[in-house]
Amino acid sequence: MLRPTFRRLLNSPSTKALFRGDALAVHRRYMATNAEEGGIQDPATYCSDLVRKRDYESFLISQFWPRDLREHFIALRAFYVELASVQESVSNITLGKMRMQFWRDALKGIADGRPPRHPIALALGRACQAANLQTYHLKRIVDARDAELDTPAHMTLDSLTSHAESTSSTFLYLQLSLLSLSASSTLSHAASHLGVAQGITTLLRALPYHASQGRMVIPAEITARHGVSQEEVFRKGGQAKGIEDAVFEFATVANDNLQTSLEMLKTEVPGRARPVFLNAVPTRLYLERLEAANFDAFNPSLHGRGWQLPWRIWSSYYRGRF
Amino acid sequence: MTLLRALVAAGPSARVVATRVATPRTSALLARRLISTTPCRHAVDPNLKRTEPGDYLPDPVAPRSPGIKTAMLSAADEPGKDFDPYKDGPSAIDKAVHLFFFTEIIRGMWIVLEQVFRPPYTIMYPFEKGPLSPRFRGEHALRRYPSGEERCIACKLCEAICPAQAITIESEARLDGSRRTTRYDIDMTKCIYCGFCQEACPVDAIVETQNQEFSTETREELMYNKEKLLANGDAAEAEIAANLQADHVYR
Repeated sequence: MLRPTFRRLLNSPSTKALFRGDALAVHRRYMATNAEEGGIQDPATYCSDLVRKRDYESFLISQFWPRDLREHFIALRAFYVELASVQESVSNITLGKMRMQFWRDALKGIADGRPPRHPIALALGRACQAANLQTYHLKRIVDARDAELDTPAHMTLDSLTSHAESTSSTFLYLQLSLLSLSASSTLSHAASHLGVAQGITTLLRALPYHASQGRMVIPAEITARHGVSQEEVFRKGGQAKGIEDAVFEFATVANDNLQTSLEMLKTEVPGRARPVFLNAVPTRLYLERLEAANFDAFNPSLHGRGWQLPWRIWSSYYRGRF
Repeated sequence: MTLLRALVAAGPSARVVATRVATPRTSALLARRLISTTPCRHAVDPNLKRTEPGDYLPDPVAPRSPGIKTAMLSAADEPGKDFDPYKDGPSAIDKAVHLFFFTEIIRGMWIVLEQVFRPPYTIMYPFEKGPLSPRFRGEHALRRYPSGEERCIACKLCEAICPAQAITIESEARLDGSRRTTRYDIDMTKCIYCGFCQEACPVDAIVETQNQEFSTETREELMYNKEKLLANGDAAEAEIAANLQADHVYR
Protein backbone atom coordinates (compact mmCIF):
# COMPACT_ATOMS: atom_id res chain seq x y z
CA MET A 1 0.00 0.00 0.00
CA LEU A 2 1.51 3.29 -1.07
CA ARG A 3 1.30 6.33 1.10
CA PRO A 4 -1.19 8.88 -0.30
CA THR A 5 1.40 11.58 -0.91
CA PHE A 6 3.63 9.22 -2.79
CA ARG A 7 0.76 7.99 -4.83
CA ARG A 8 -0.18 11.55 -5.70
CA LEU A 9 3.38 12.10 -6.82
CA LEU A 10 3.21 9.01 -8.99
CA ASN A 11 -0.03 10.13 -10.55
CA SER A 12 1.01 13.70 -11.15
CA PRO A 13 1.42 14.54 -14.82
CA SER A 14 5.01 15.63 -14.39
CA THR A 15 6.11 12.31 -12.91
CA LYS A 16 4.25 10.38 -15.57
CA ALA A 17 5.89 12.51 -18.21
CA LEU A 18 9.30 11.84 -16.75
CA PHE A 19 8.65 8.11 -16.73
CA ARG A 20 7.58 8.23 -20.32
CA GLY A 21 11.08 9.30 -21.15
CA ASP A 22 12.49 9.72 -24.57
CA ALA A 23 9.92 8.21 -26.87
CA LEU A 24 9.45 9.62 -30.31
CA ALA A 25 8.23 13.20 -30.21
CA VAL A 26 6.97 13.32 -33.74
CA HIS A 27 3.75 11.68 -34.86
CA ARG A 28 2.70 10.41 -31.51
CA ARG A 29 -0.97 10.08 -30.91
CA TYR A 30 -2.57 10.39 -27.56
CA MET A 31 -6.01 10.21 -26.22
CA ALA A 32 -6.64 13.94 -26.20
CA THR A 33 -8.91 13.71 -23.23
CA ASN A 34 -8.28 11.89 -20.05
CA ALA A 35 -9.68 12.32 -16.61
CA GLU A 36 -7.07 14.94 -15.74
CA GLU A 37 -7.84 17.34 -18.55
CA GLY A 38 -10.09 20.16 -17.60
CA GLY A 39 -12.15 22.32 -19.86
CA ILE A 40 -13.38 25.79 -19.18
CA GLN A 41 -13.62 25.13 -15.48
CA ASP A 42 -9.94 24.31 -15.29
CA PRO A 43 -8.07 26.06 -18.09
CA ALA A 44 -4.70 25.56 -16.42
CA THR A 45 -4.98 21.78 -16.62
CA TYR A 46 -6.09 21.99 -20.23
CA CYS A 47 -3.09 24.14 -21.10
CA SER A 48 -0.56 21.99 -19.28
CA ASP A 49 -1.99 18.91 -20.95
CA LEU A 50 -1.66 20.56 -24.33
CA VAL A 51 1.90 21.66 -23.67
CA ARG A 52 2.87 18.23 -22.38
CA LYS A 53 1.57 16.58 -25.51
CA ARG A 54 2.74 18.99 -28.14
CA ASP A 55 5.82 20.58 -26.63
CA TYR A 56 7.36 18.30 -24.07
CA GLU A 57 10.52 20.38 -23.72
CA SER A 58 8.61 23.41 -22.56
CA PHE A 59 6.70 21.19 -20.20
CA LEU A 60 9.98 20.10 -18.62
CA ILE A 61 11.15 23.72 -18.44
CA SER A 62 7.88 24.74 -16.82
CA GLN A 63 8.80 22.59 -13.83
CA PHE A 64 11.54 25.07 -12.97
CA TRP A 65 9.31 28.11 -12.97
CA PRO A 66 8.30 29.61 -9.66
CA ARG A 67 5.20 27.85 -8.47
CA ASP A 68 2.96 30.89 -8.66
CA LEU A 69 4.02 31.75 -12.21
CA ARG A 70 4.16 28.25 -13.67
CA GLU A 71 0.51 28.31 -14.63
CA HIS A 72 0.99 31.59 -16.52
CA PHE A 73 4.06 30.32 -18.32
CA ILE A 74 2.12 27.27 -19.42
CA ALA A 75 -0.77 29.43 -20.56
CA LEU A 76 1.60 31.50 -22.70
CA ARG A 77 3.23 28.44 -24.12
CA ALA A 78 -0.13 26.85 -24.91
CA PHE A 79 -1.08 30.02 -26.75
CA TYR A 80 2.18 29.88 -28.68
CA VAL A 81 1.75 26.20 -29.51
CA GLU A 82 -1.84 26.70 -30.58
CA LEU A 83 -0.84 29.46 -32.99
CA ALA A 84 2.16 27.55 -34.29
CA SER A 85 0.07 24.51 -35.09
CA VAL A 86 -2.70 26.37 -36.91
CA GLN A 87 -0.82 26.17 -40.16
CA GLU A 88 -0.50 22.40 -40.00
CA SER A 89 -4.15 21.87 -39.16
CA VAL A 90 -5.77 23.91 -41.91
CA SER A 91 -5.94 22.99 -45.55
CA ASN A 92 -6.20 26.47 -47.01
CA ILE A 93 -5.09 29.96 -46.12
CA THR A 94 -8.57 31.40 -45.60
CA LEU A 95 -9.26 28.97 -42.77
CA GLY A 96 -5.96 29.84 -41.13
CA LYS A 97 -6.68 33.55 -41.49
CA MET A 98 -10.05 33.07 -39.84
CA ARG A 99 -8.48 31.35 -36.89
CA MET A 100 -5.90 34.11 -36.59
CA GLN A 101 -8.73 36.62 -36.61
CA PHE A 102 -10.36 34.64 -33.83
CA TRP A 103 -7.18 34.99 -31.78
CA ARG A 104 -6.92 38.71 -32.56
CA ASP A 105 -10.46 39.15 -31.33
CA ALA A 106 -9.65 36.99 -28.32
CA LEU A 107 -6.69 39.26 -27.45
CA LYS A 108 -8.95 42.26 -27.76
CA GLY A 109 -11.43 40.54 -25.49
CA ILE A 110 -8.70 39.70 -22.99
CA ALA A 111 -7.60 43.33 -22.92
CA ASP A 112 -11.20 44.35 -22.23
CA GLY A 113 -11.54 41.67 -19.56
CA ARG A 114 -13.96 39.57 -21.59
CA PRO A 115 -11.96 36.62 -22.90
CA PRO A 116 -13.83 34.15 -25.12
CA ARG A 117 -14.70 30.82 -23.55
CA HIS A 118 -11.65 29.10 -24.90
CA PRO A 119 -9.54 27.39 -22.24
CA ILE A 120 -6.32 28.90 -23.57
CA ALA A 121 -7.85 32.36 -23.84
CA LEU A 122 -9.14 32.09 -20.29
CA ALA A 123 -5.75 31.00 -18.98
CA LEU A 124 -4.06 33.75 -20.97
CA GLY A 125 -6.48 36.27 -19.58
CA ARG A 126 -5.53 35.23 -16.07
CA ALA A 127 -1.85 35.49 -16.91
CA CYS A 128 -2.32 38.98 -18.38
CA GLN A 129 -4.18 40.10 -15.30
CA ALA A 130 -1.60 38.65 -12.94
CA ALA A 131 1.57 39.80 -14.64
CA ASN A 132 0.52 42.82 -16.65
CA LEU A 133 1.71 41.33 -19.93
CA GLN A 134 1.84 43.63 -22.89
CA THR A 135 -0.81 42.79 -25.45
CA TYR A 136 1.57 44.23 -28.03
CA HIS A 137 3.82 41.16 -27.79
CA LEU A 138 0.95 38.72 -28.05
CA LYS A 139 -0.37 40.60 -31.06
CA ARG A 140 3.03 40.50 -32.67
CA ILE A 141 3.09 36.71 -32.45
CA VAL A 142 -0.37 36.48 -34.03
CA ASP A 143 0.60 38.86 -36.83
CA ALA A 144 3.80 36.95 -37.54
CA ARG A 145 1.92 33.65 -37.72
CA ASP A 146 -0.65 35.26 -39.93
CA ALA A 147 2.05 36.51 -42.29
CA GLU A 148 3.61 33.05 -42.26
CA LEU A 149 0.40 31.58 -43.68
CA ASP A 150 0.95 33.60 -46.84
CA THR A 151 4.64 32.91 -47.22
CA PRO A 152 5.65 29.66 -45.55
CA ALA A 153 9.09 29.71 -47.21
CA HIS A 154 11.67 32.45 -46.83
CA MET A 155 13.88 33.78 -49.57
CA THR A 156 16.51 35.36 -47.41
CA LEU A 157 18.00 34.65 -44.03
CA ASP A 158 17.10 38.18 -42.93
CA SER A 159 13.39 37.66 -43.43
CA LEU A 160 13.56 34.37 -41.58
CA THR A 161 15.48 35.99 -38.74
CA SER A 162 12.94 38.77 -38.41
CA HIS A 163 10.16 36.17 -38.42
CA ALA A 164 11.88 34.19 -35.66
CA GLU A 165 12.34 37.42 -33.72
CA SER A 166 8.66 38.17 -33.85
CA THR A 167 7.69 34.66 -32.79
CA SER A 168 10.16 32.86 -30.53
CA SER A 169 12.03 35.97 -29.35
CA THR A 170 8.76 37.70 -28.58
CA PHE A 171 7.73 34.69 -26.58
CA LEU A 172 10.92 35.02 -24.56
CA TYR A 173 10.22 38.73 -23.99
CA LEU A 174 6.82 37.73 -22.66
CA GLN A 175 8.49 35.32 -20.27
CA LEU A 176 10.83 38.06 -19.11
CA SER A 177 7.96 40.41 -18.45
CA LEU A 178 6.17 37.59 -16.64
CA LEU A 179 9.15 37.64 -14.27
CA SER A 180 9.17 41.47 -14.24
CA LEU A 181 12.62 41.47 -15.84
CA SER A 182 11.77 43.17 -19.10
CA ALA A 183 13.51 46.37 -18.00
CA SER A 184 16.94 44.73 -18.35
CA SER A 185 18.25 45.45 -21.83
CA THR A 186 21.00 42.81 -21.57
CA LEU A 187 18.50 40.08 -20.88
CA SER A 188 16.23 41.29 -23.65
CA HIS A 189 19.09 41.38 -26.10
CA ALA A 190 20.19 37.89 -25.10
CA ALA A 191 16.59 36.71 -25.41
CA SER A 192 16.37 38.13 -28.90
CA HIS A 193 19.40 36.12 -30.07
CA LEU A 194 18.24 33.02 -28.25
CA GLY A 195 14.85 33.33 -29.95
CA VAL A 196 16.45 33.35 -33.39
CA ALA A 197 18.49 30.27 -32.51
CA GLN A 198 15.38 28.58 -31.22
CA GLY A 199 13.36 29.43 -34.29
CA ILE A 200 15.98 28.09 -36.67
CA THR A 201 16.45 24.94 -34.61
CA THR A 202 12.73 24.22 -34.61
CA LEU A 203 12.68 24.55 -38.38
CA LEU A 204 15.73 22.31 -38.77
CA ARG A 205 14.17 19.70 -36.53
CA ALA A 206 11.02 19.76 -38.58
CA LEU A 207 12.91 19.70 -41.89
CA PRO A 208 12.01 16.05 -42.65
CA TYR A 209 8.37 16.76 -41.84
CA HIS A 210 8.24 19.89 -43.97
CA ALA A 211 10.06 18.16 -46.81
CA SER A 212 7.47 15.39 -46.72
CA GLN A 213 4.82 18.10 -47.10
CA GLY A 214 6.66 19.64 -50.03
CA ARG A 215 7.97 22.72 -48.22
CA MET A 216 11.53 23.91 -47.99
CA VAL A 217 12.24 25.67 -44.73
CA ILE A 218 15.86 26.56 -45.33
CA PRO A 219 15.95 30.03 -46.94
CA ALA A 220 16.43 30.00 -50.69
CA GLU A 221 19.49 32.17 -50.25
CA ILE A 222 21.33 29.34 -48.49
CA THR A 223 20.06 26.48 -50.61
CA ALA A 224 20.95 28.35 -53.80
CA ARG A 225 24.48 28.88 -52.56
CA HIS A 226 24.94 25.11 -52.19
CA GLY A 227 23.12 24.21 -55.38
CA VAL A 228 20.39 22.28 -53.57
CA SER A 229 17.45 21.29 -55.73
CA GLN A 230 14.23 21.46 -53.71
CA GLU A 231 12.60 18.68 -55.67
CA GLU A 232 15.54 16.43 -54.96
CA VAL A 233 15.24 17.12 -51.23
CA PHE A 234 11.53 16.27 -51.29
CA ARG A 235 12.21 13.02 -53.12
CA LYS A 236 15.47 11.79 -51.70
CA GLY A 237 15.63 13.51 -48.32
CA GLY A 238 19.10 13.32 -46.83
CA GLN A 239 20.67 11.90 -49.97
CA ALA A 240 19.99 15.08 -51.93
CA LYS A 241 23.05 16.83 -53.24
CA GLY A 242 24.29 19.71 -51.13
CA ILE A 243 21.60 19.47 -48.45
CA GLU A 244 24.10 18.70 -45.72
CA ASP A 245 26.11 21.80 -46.56
CA ALA A 246 22.96 23.91 -46.51
CA VAL A 247 21.91 22.39 -43.18
CA PHE A 248 25.38 23.06 -41.85
CA GLU A 249 25.26 26.71 -42.85
CA PHE A 250 21.74 27.12 -41.44
CA ALA A 251 22.72 25.41 -38.20
CA THR A 252 25.80 27.61 -37.98
CA VAL A 253 23.58 30.69 -38.00
CA ALA A 254 21.57 29.18 -35.15
CA ASN A 255 24.73 28.32 -33.25
CA ASP A 256 26.16 31.83 -33.72
CA ASN A 257 23.02 33.34 -32.29
CA LEU A 258 23.03 30.88 -29.41
CA GLN A 259 26.68 31.61 -28.59
CA THR A 260 26.10 35.37 -28.77
CA SER A 261 23.22 35.02 -26.39
CA LEU A 262 25.14 32.83 -23.93
CA GLU A 263 28.14 35.15 -24.17
CA MET A 264 25.99 37.97 -22.84
CA LEU A 265 24.64 35.84 -20.05
CA LYS A 266 28.10 34.91 -18.82
CA THR A 267 28.48 38.15 -16.87
CA GLU A 268 25.33 38.06 -14.81
CA VAL A 269 22.16 36.05 -14.85
CA PRO A 270 19.86 36.86 -12.01
CA GLY A 271 18.56 33.66 -10.45
CA ARG A 272 15.07 34.71 -11.37
CA ALA A 273 15.87 34.77 -15.09
CA ARG A 274 17.16 31.23 -15.17
CA PRO A 275 13.90 29.53 -16.23
CA VAL A 276 13.73 31.82 -19.27
CA PHE A 277 17.15 30.85 -20.48
CA LEU A 278 16.53 27.19 -19.87
CA ASN A 279 15.00 27.43 -23.34
CA ALA A 280 18.55 27.44 -24.65
CA VAL A 281 19.11 23.86 -23.45
CA PRO A 282 16.91 21.96 -25.92
CA THR A 283 18.24 24.15 -28.72
CA ARG A 284 21.80 23.48 -27.78
CA LEU A 285 21.18 19.78 -27.31
CA TYR A 286 19.64 19.51 -30.73
CA LEU A 287 22.53 21.35 -32.36
CA GLU A 288 25.00 19.02 -30.63
CA ARG A 289 23.11 15.98 -31.83
CA LEU A 290 22.92 17.42 -35.33
CA GLU A 291 26.68 17.86 -35.27
CA ALA A 292 27.13 14.29 -34.08
CA ALA A 293 24.94 13.14 -36.98
CA ASN A 294 27.23 15.05 -39.35
CA PHE A 295 24.51 17.60 -40.20
CA ASP A 296 22.25 15.03 -41.74
CA ALA A 297 18.95 16.51 -40.61
CA PHE A 298 17.10 13.46 -41.91
CA ASN A 299 19.00 11.09 -39.64
CA PRO A 300 16.52 8.99 -37.63
CA SER A 301 18.60 9.47 -34.48
CA LEU A 302 17.45 13.10 -34.44
CA HIS A 303 13.75 12.31 -34.48
CA GLY A 304 13.45 11.30 -30.84
CA ARG A 305 13.71 13.83 -28.07
CA GLY A 306 16.83 12.29 -26.58
CA TRP A 307 17.33 10.76 -23.17
CA GLN A 308 19.66 13.51 -21.99
CA LEU A 309 17.07 16.25 -22.14
CA PRO A 310 15.56 16.05 -18.63
CA TRP A 311 19.00 15.70 -17.07
CA ARG A 312 20.49 18.57 -19.04
CA ILE A 313 17.63 20.88 -18.14
CA TRP A 314 17.88 19.94 -14.47
CA SER A 315 21.63 20.39 -14.29
CA SER A 316 21.59 23.63 -16.29
CA TYR A 317 19.09 25.09 -13.92
CA TYR A 318 21.14 24.31 -10.82
CA ARG A 319 24.51 25.22 -12.31
CA GLY A 320 23.17 28.36 -13.94
CA ARG A 321 25.02 27.53 -17.17
CA PHE A 322 23.13 26.79 -20.32
CA MET B 1 -6.59 -5.19 -130.60
CA THR B 2 -3.73 -3.08 -131.77
CA LEU B 3 -2.34 -5.77 -133.93
CA LEU B 4 -5.75 -6.54 -135.33
CA ARG B 5 -6.10 -2.97 -136.34
CA ALA B 6 -2.68 -3.14 -137.94
CA LEU B 7 -3.71 -6.24 -139.84
CA VAL B 8 -6.82 -4.58 -141.21
CA ALA B 9 -4.99 -1.39 -142.03
CA ALA B 10 -2.11 -3.24 -143.67
CA GLY B 11 -4.14 -4.44 -146.63
CA PRO B 12 -1.76 -5.47 -149.44
CA SER B 13 1.14 -6.38 -147.22
CA ALA B 14 -0.98 -8.80 -145.20
CA ARG B 15 1.36 -11.64 -145.90
CA VAL B 16 4.25 -9.86 -144.28
CA VAL B 17 2.10 -9.13 -141.29
CA ALA B 18 0.95 -12.73 -141.16
CA THR B 19 4.52 -13.91 -141.18
CA ARG B 20 5.45 -11.56 -138.39
CA VAL B 21 2.52 -12.38 -136.24
CA ALA B 22 2.48 -16.12 -136.82
CA THR B 23 3.60 -18.10 -133.75
CA PRO B 24 3.52 -21.79 -132.94
CA ARG B 25 0.72 -21.12 -130.41
CA THR B 26 -2.88 -21.53 -131.46
CA SER B 27 -5.03 -18.53 -132.23
CA ALA B 28 -1.99 -16.39 -132.08
CA LEU B 29 -3.60 -13.94 -134.37
CA LEU B 30 -5.45 -12.28 -131.56
CA ALA B 31 -2.90 -12.86 -128.79
CA ARG B 32 -1.56 -9.72 -127.15
CA ARG B 33 2.06 -9.52 -126.67
CA LEU B 34 2.91 -8.59 -123.12
CA ILE B 35 6.04 -8.53 -121.04
CA SER B 36 4.63 -11.05 -118.66
CA THR B 37 3.86 -13.59 -121.36
CA THR B 38 7.13 -13.18 -123.17
CA PRO B 39 9.65 -15.94 -122.45
CA CYS B 40 12.86 -14.74 -120.93
CA ARG B 41 15.60 -14.57 -123.44
CA HIS B 42 18.42 -15.29 -121.07
CA ALA B 43 16.80 -18.42 -119.84
CA VAL B 44 16.88 -20.14 -123.19
CA ASP B 45 19.24 -23.08 -123.36
CA PRO B 46 21.56 -22.58 -126.33
CA ASN B 47 21.91 -26.33 -126.82
CA LEU B 48 18.27 -26.70 -127.68
CA LYS B 49 17.26 -26.50 -131.26
CA ARG B 50 15.03 -23.51 -131.64
CA THR B 51 11.75 -24.36 -133.35
CA GLU B 52 10.22 -20.90 -133.41
CA PRO B 53 10.75 -18.60 -136.34
CA GLY B 54 13.78 -16.44 -135.89
CA ASP B 55 11.81 -13.47 -134.75
CA TYR B 56 14.00 -13.07 -131.73
CA LEU B 57 17.05 -11.06 -131.09
CA PRO B 58 20.21 -13.18 -130.83
CA ASP B 59 21.35 -13.93 -127.28
CA PRO B 60 23.94 -11.40 -126.23
CA VAL B 61 25.53 -13.55 -123.53
CA ALA B 62 25.99 -17.22 -123.12
CA PRO B 63 24.28 -18.64 -119.98
CA ARG B 64 26.67 -19.55 -117.21
CA SER B 65 24.55 -22.28 -115.69
CA PRO B 66 25.35 -25.87 -116.53
CA GLY B 67 21.89 -26.64 -117.80
CA ILE B 68 18.31 -25.84 -117.21
CA LYS B 69 17.52 -29.29 -115.88
CA THR B 70 19.88 -29.03 -112.98
CA ALA B 71 19.95 -25.29 -112.33
CA MET B 72 16.30 -24.39 -112.67
CA LEU B 73 14.44 -26.67 -110.30
CA SER B 74 10.86 -25.61 -109.87
CA ALA B 75 8.64 -26.01 -106.85
CA ALA B 76 7.26 -29.19 -108.33
CA ASP B 77 10.69 -30.80 -108.18
CA GLU B 78 10.88 -30.48 -104.37
CA PRO B 79 11.42 -33.95 -102.84
CA GLY B 80 8.70 -35.31 -100.56
CA LYS B 81 6.23 -32.87 -101.99
CA ASP B 82 3.48 -35.41 -102.20
CA PHE B 83 3.83 -36.59 -98.59
CA ASP B 84 1.17 -35.12 -96.18
CA PRO B 85 2.19 -35.53 -92.51
CA TYR B 86 -1.25 -34.51 -91.22
CA LYS B 87 -3.11 -36.94 -93.36
CA ASP B 88 -4.16 -39.25 -90.52
CA GLY B 89 -4.36 -36.84 -87.49
CA PRO B 90 -5.19 -33.34 -86.16
CA SER B 91 -3.41 -30.32 -87.56
CA ALA B 92 -0.68 -28.46 -85.69
CA ILE B 93 -3.14 -25.69 -84.76
CA ASP B 94 -5.59 -28.21 -83.32
CA LYS B 95 -2.84 -29.72 -81.21
CA ALA B 96 -1.63 -26.31 -79.93
CA VAL B 97 -5.15 -25.26 -79.02
CA HIS B 98 -5.63 -28.43 -77.01
CA LEU B 99 -2.28 -28.13 -75.27
CA PHE B 100 -2.70 -24.52 -74.25
CA PHE B 101 -6.32 -24.85 -73.24
CA PHE B 102 -5.46 -27.83 -71.10
CA THR B 103 -2.59 -26.10 -69.30
CA GLU B 104 -4.81 -23.07 -68.87
CA ILE B 105 -7.34 -25.21 -67.05
CA ILE B 106 -4.62 -26.73 -64.88
CA ARG B 107 -3.26 -23.33 -63.99
CA GLY B 108 -6.72 -22.06 -63.15
CA MET B 109 -7.33 -25.03 -60.93
CA TRP B 110 -4.00 -24.42 -59.20
CA ILE B 111 -5.05 -20.88 -58.29
CA VAL B 112 -8.30 -22.24 -56.93
CA LEU B 113 -6.32 -24.73 -54.86
CA GLU B 114 -4.09 -21.95 -53.51
CA GLN B 115 -7.09 -19.91 -52.48
CA VAL B 116 -8.55 -22.86 -50.60
CA PHE B 117 -5.66 -22.65 -48.15
CA ARG B 118 -5.69 -18.85 -47.81
CA PRO B 119 -7.75 -16.77 -45.40
CA PRO B 120 -10.74 -15.25 -47.19
CA TYR B 121 -10.60 -11.71 -48.47
CA THR B 122 -14.27 -11.15 -47.98
CA ILE B 123 -15.37 -8.83 -45.21
CA MET B 124 -18.72 -9.72 -43.76
CA TYR B 125 -19.67 -6.08 -43.98
CA PRO B 126 -22.21 -5.20 -41.33
CA PHE B 127 -20.31 -7.31 -38.80
CA GLU B 128 -16.77 -6.72 -40.00
CA LYS B 129 -15.48 -3.40 -41.28
CA GLY B 130 -12.54 -2.38 -43.37
CA PRO B 131 -9.86 0.02 -42.13
CA LEU B 132 -10.59 3.76 -42.14
CA SER B 133 -8.08 6.57 -42.15
CA PRO B 134 -7.96 8.60 -38.93
CA ARG B 135 -8.65 11.56 -41.18
CA PHE B 136 -11.82 10.01 -42.56
CA ARG B 137 -14.60 12.56 -42.68
CA GLY B 138 -17.96 11.10 -41.86
CA GLU B 139 -20.92 12.07 -39.74
CA HIS B 140 -20.59 15.27 -37.73
CA ALA B 141 -20.46 15.57 -33.98
CA LEU B 142 -20.20 18.34 -31.40
CA ARG B 143 -17.75 17.68 -28.59
CA ARG B 144 -17.85 18.51 -24.93
CA TYR B 145 -15.13 19.11 -22.38
CA PRO B 146 -14.62 16.28 -19.91
CA SER B 147 -16.46 18.43 -17.40
CA GLY B 148 -19.54 18.04 -19.58
CA GLU B 149 -19.58 21.59 -20.85
CA GLU B 150 -20.04 22.20 -24.56
CA ARG B 151 -16.94 23.24 -26.40
CA CYS B 152 -18.75 25.34 -28.95
CA ILE B 153 -18.45 29.06 -28.23
CA ALA B 154 -20.73 30.23 -31.05
CA CYS B 155 -17.98 32.00 -32.96
CA LYS B 156 -19.74 31.02 -36.21
CA LEU B 157 -16.51 30.42 -38.10
CA CYS B 158 -17.83 27.07 -39.34
CA GLU B 159 -21.01 28.69 -40.57
CA ALA B 160 -18.99 31.30 -42.41
CA ILE B 161 -16.59 28.87 -44.05
CA CYS B 162 -19.09 26.16 -45.02
CA PRO B 163 -19.02 26.09 -48.84
CA ALA B 164 -22.35 24.30 -49.07
CA GLN B 165 -23.99 26.59 -46.50
CA ALA B 166 -25.20 23.55 -44.64
CA ILE B 167 -24.66 24.96 -41.14
CA THR B 168 -27.08 27.31 -39.39
CA ILE B 169 -26.24 28.80 -36.01
CA GLU B 170 -28.17 31.03 -33.69
CA SER B 171 -26.64 32.13 -30.44
CA GLU B 172 -27.32 34.15 -27.36
CA ALA B 173 -25.39 35.26 -24.32
CA ARG B 174 -25.91 33.37 -21.12
CA LEU B 175 -26.18 34.86 -17.69
CA ASP B 176 -22.55 34.13 -16.93
CA GLY B 177 -21.52 36.17 -19.96
CA SER B 178 -20.57 33.28 -22.20
CA ARG B 179 -22.03 32.97 -25.66
CA ARG B 180 -23.69 29.70 -26.48
CA THR B 181 -25.56 28.37 -29.45
CA THR B 182 -29.29 28.05 -29.09
CA ARG B 183 -29.49 26.41 -32.45
CA TYR B 184 -26.83 24.46 -34.31
CA ASP B 185 -28.26 22.76 -37.38
CA ILE B 186 -26.44 20.88 -40.09
CA ASP B 187 -28.30 19.90 -43.23
CA MET B 188 -26.60 16.59 -43.99
CA THR B 189 -28.15 16.52 -47.44
CA LYS B 190 -26.27 19.67 -48.33
CA CYS B 191 -23.00 18.80 -46.63
CA ILE B 192 -20.15 17.92 -48.99
CA TYR B 193 -17.87 16.55 -46.25
CA CYS B 194 -15.00 18.90 -47.04
CA GLY B 195 -13.98 19.13 -43.38
CA PHE B 196 -13.60 22.92 -43.42
CA CYS B 197 -15.84 23.32 -40.37
CA GLN B 198 -13.54 21.04 -38.43
CA GLU B 199 -10.46 22.93 -39.56
CA ALA B 200 -11.94 26.35 -38.88
CA CYS B 201 -13.09 25.54 -35.35
CA PRO B 202 -10.74 27.17 -32.82
CA VAL B 203 -11.94 24.98 -29.96
CA ASP B 204 -12.16 21.62 -31.79
CA ALA B 205 -15.88 21.54 -31.08
CA ILE B 206 -17.31 20.47 -34.42
CA VAL B 207 -15.60 17.37 -35.79
CA GLU B 208 -16.33 14.80 -38.42
CA THR B 209 -16.35 11.32 -36.95
CA GLN B 210 -15.44 8.04 -38.55
CA ASN B 211 -19.06 7.04 -38.78
CA GLN B 212 -20.24 6.61 -42.34
CA GLU B 213 -23.36 4.59 -41.64
CA PHE B 214 -26.08 7.06 -40.94
CA SER B 215 -28.50 6.41 -43.73
CA THR B 216 -32.07 7.16 -42.85
CA GLU B 217 -35.47 6.31 -44.18
CA THR B 218 -36.71 9.85 -44.48
CA ARG B 219 -35.05 13.01 -45.65
CA GLU B 220 -36.08 14.93 -42.53
CA GLU B 221 -33.93 12.69 -40.36
CA LEU B 222 -30.85 14.08 -42.10
CA MET B 223 -31.49 17.59 -40.79
CA TYR B 224 -29.31 17.32 -37.70
CA ASN B 225 -29.90 19.60 -34.76
CA LYS B 226 -27.73 20.37 -31.77
CA GLU B 227 -29.04 17.52 -29.62
CA LYS B 228 -28.29 14.96 -32.28
CA LEU B 229 -24.78 16.36 -32.84
CA LEU B 230 -23.97 16.42 -29.15
CA ALA B 231 -25.25 12.87 -28.81
CA ASN B 232 -22.95 11.84 -31.67
CA GLY B 233 -20.07 13.51 -29.89
CA ASP B 234 -20.80 11.71 -26.63
CA ALA B 235 -20.98 8.39 -28.41
CA ALA B 236 -17.71 8.77 -30.26
CA GLU B 237 -15.65 10.90 -27.88
CA ALA B 238 -12.84 8.42 -27.27
CA GLU B 239 -12.48 7.73 -30.96
CA ILE B 240 -12.52 11.41 -31.88
CA ALA B 241 -9.95 12.24 -29.27
CA ALA B 242 -7.66 9.47 -30.45
CA ASN B 243 -7.88 10.65 -34.04
CA LEU B 244 -7.14 14.29 -33.36
CA GLN B 245 -3.67 15.41 -34.25
CA ALA B 246 -1.36 15.77 -31.32
CA ASP B 247 2.07 16.25 -32.74
CA HIS B 248 5.25 18.11 -32.28
CA VAL B 249 5.35 21.83 -32.88
CA TYR B 250 6.79 22.18 -36.34
CA ARG B 251 7.20 25.95 -36.45
